[in-house]
Amino acid sequence: MRYVLPILAATLVQTGHVHAETRQMDSHEHGSGTLNIALEGSTVVMEFEAPGYDIVGFEYEATSDKDLAAIEAAIEKLESPMSLFVPNNSAGCTVAASHASLMTEEDGHEEHKDHEHDDDHEEHAEGEDHDEDHADDHDEHDHEDEASHTEFEAEYALTCDSPEKLTSLAFTYFQTFPNAEELDIQLITEKGAFAFEADRANPTVDLQGTQ
Amino acid sequence: MTLVRLALKSLLSRRFTVGLTVFAIALSVALFLGVEKLRTGARASFADTISKTDLIMGARSGSVQLLLYSVFRIGNATNNVSWQSYEELTSRPEVDWAVPISLGDSHKQFRVMGTTAAYFDRYKYRNGRSLAFEQGVAFDDLFDAVIGADVAQTLGYAVGHPIIVAHGLASFTEHDELPFRISGVLEKTGTPADSTVFVGLDAIEAIHVDWQGGGRKSGPATTEDVIRAMDLKPKAITAAMIGVKSRLQAFGLQRAINEYPDEPLQAILPGIALQELWEIVGVAETALTGVSAMVVATALLGMAVMILSGLNERRREMAILRSVGAGPLTIAGLMLTEAVTMAAAGAALGIGLLYVGLLGLRPWLDAAYGLYLPLSGLTQKDVIMLGLVLAAAALVSLVPAIRAYRLSVADGMMVKV
Repeated sequence: MRYVLPILAATLVQTGHVHAETRQMDSHEHGSGTLNIALEGSTVVMEFEAPGYDIVGFEYEATSDKDLAAIEAAIEKLESPMSLFVPNNSAGCTVAASHASLMTEEDGHEEHKDHEHDDDHEEHAEGEDHDEDHADDHDEHDHEDEASHTEFEAEYALTCDSPEKLTSLAFTYFQTFPNAEELDIQLITEKGAFAFEADRANPTVDLQGTQ
Repeated sequence: MTLVRLALKSLLSRRFTVGLTVFAIALSVALFLGVEKLRTGARASFADTISKTDLIMGARSGSVQLLLYSVFRIGNATNNVSWQSYEELTSRPEVDWAVPISLGDSHKQFRVMGTTAAYFDRYKYRNGRSLAFEQGVAFDDLFDAVIGADVAQTLGYAVGHPIIVAHGLASFTEHDELPFRISGVLEKTGTPADSTVFVGLDAIEAIHVDWQGGGRKSGPATTEDVIRAMDLKPKAITAAMIGVKSRLQAFGLQRAINEYPDEPLQAILPGIALQELWEIVGVAETALTGVSAMVVATALLGMAVMILSGLNERRREMAILRSVGAGPLTIAGLMLTEAVTMAAAGAALGIGLLYVGLLGLRPWLDAAYGLYLPLSGLTQKDVIMLGLVLAAAALVSLVPAIRAYRLSVADGMMVKV
């Protein structure tokens, strides 16, 4: 869904329509990621987002085999939520769906770098207008130093046998990704919305009283 | 067993002073537990100011600020939300219901809020409780107004009373051509709804028909009939409450609103914003905990003083006990048993006092302050605290025990001249 707008904007520019450009960027803090959890019935939906720095340790465009392999490996790890965000056993949760990808955020344009490689996205991102827009940037900065940010994003759906027994989440995530420092967690249940914080020193979140 | 029997008999023989000490401990335990209940109750009442609303949408500012003006009606919006954006976003498939809110006018010291009649069904507090009408009904006519309980009480208004809405806050110019009629009075809720005057969204437009650029248009005022015939669709609103069809879509809708390209808007999860706000005002909570800890400390000190001063009167008793063969350890044991028994009796009486007090004060606290205290059992923290009271009593009793041990057997036997 979030990819639709930039694509739409890019399409409009390409077809020559005059459309005021929207300039807005998400905040980006190294070491700090977010995890949104929504609970309804036996379904738990989670959305994860963390800076590239937290996951692979760099945010420049990966070109070397080593960096590309690191991204590939990270995405694979991110696609198994049960070994990153571990619900307590008695809830009986299993993964129903999971998907992770790397997003490149460059001067407001979001380039979708999915490991599944969606050609359409690449095309738009590297369209003529994009190059013209950034012509200045290329003159002023060395390509390597370009201030670009990357974000890893993942979406999960879990099915839990007894969701009412979901009382804690253990974040082995911090062991898997040594650069990650903290995660801001937002939870929506029948009772309302709750915020929690997990970090390297306190990697377990108590969910009691939230349902 | 002999020791316990002895301790009990000894306590009974001094029932007046012991009774006072037990009562002092009971009072402080009740105070401590009461403060704890108030603290959690205040927190819960605060968190229950709004419930069952999934998102609140407003101009992009901060989540706490949006919450403050849209729910608590404190402060002002940085910007309005255009009606077009509101319609576009609330027609998304995830949206189950949406209630627009328009602020900016006032009546005496109370804020006037323009909204739709759906507000009275959708606004929930205290875990899903709905607003109820003490008198009358929701607004139905263009110039109907509904008032909160505090407004009715402070200004002495009832159903049918005319009221005049002022433009802006504490403004001297009043929209005196168009008086509203009160159609309903809400029951007391302990939420900001108590001090709000509700009118229809179209009514907010209606009162501004003759106003342009902050001043009155010259010429005769537009008559009521003309206004009634006008299209009073608002151009902008202040904020909107939104419910989603499925909770699983709440984050998605929030993101769609936050990234809406045509207008800088923001959507917040009210529960999380309330939690953030509580973290700011929560210092008072820490202060309350501190006060209750001091209360308990004072009571324990009192108990220690009472045991120590009692020691002097009991020199004879100690001497007799020792002369019939009680060792220093037995004496210490006796002191310990006495102190723990007193503390336990105090704690039990304190719990009793707390619940009697709670039962008696609950309805009044709810009605007068909107502070709802649930009749719940003791929390784990309370039990730990009670355990600490007993442990502290045991510790305090060591002082007189050591003193009793150090006084000689003969002490107290001899009659001093």
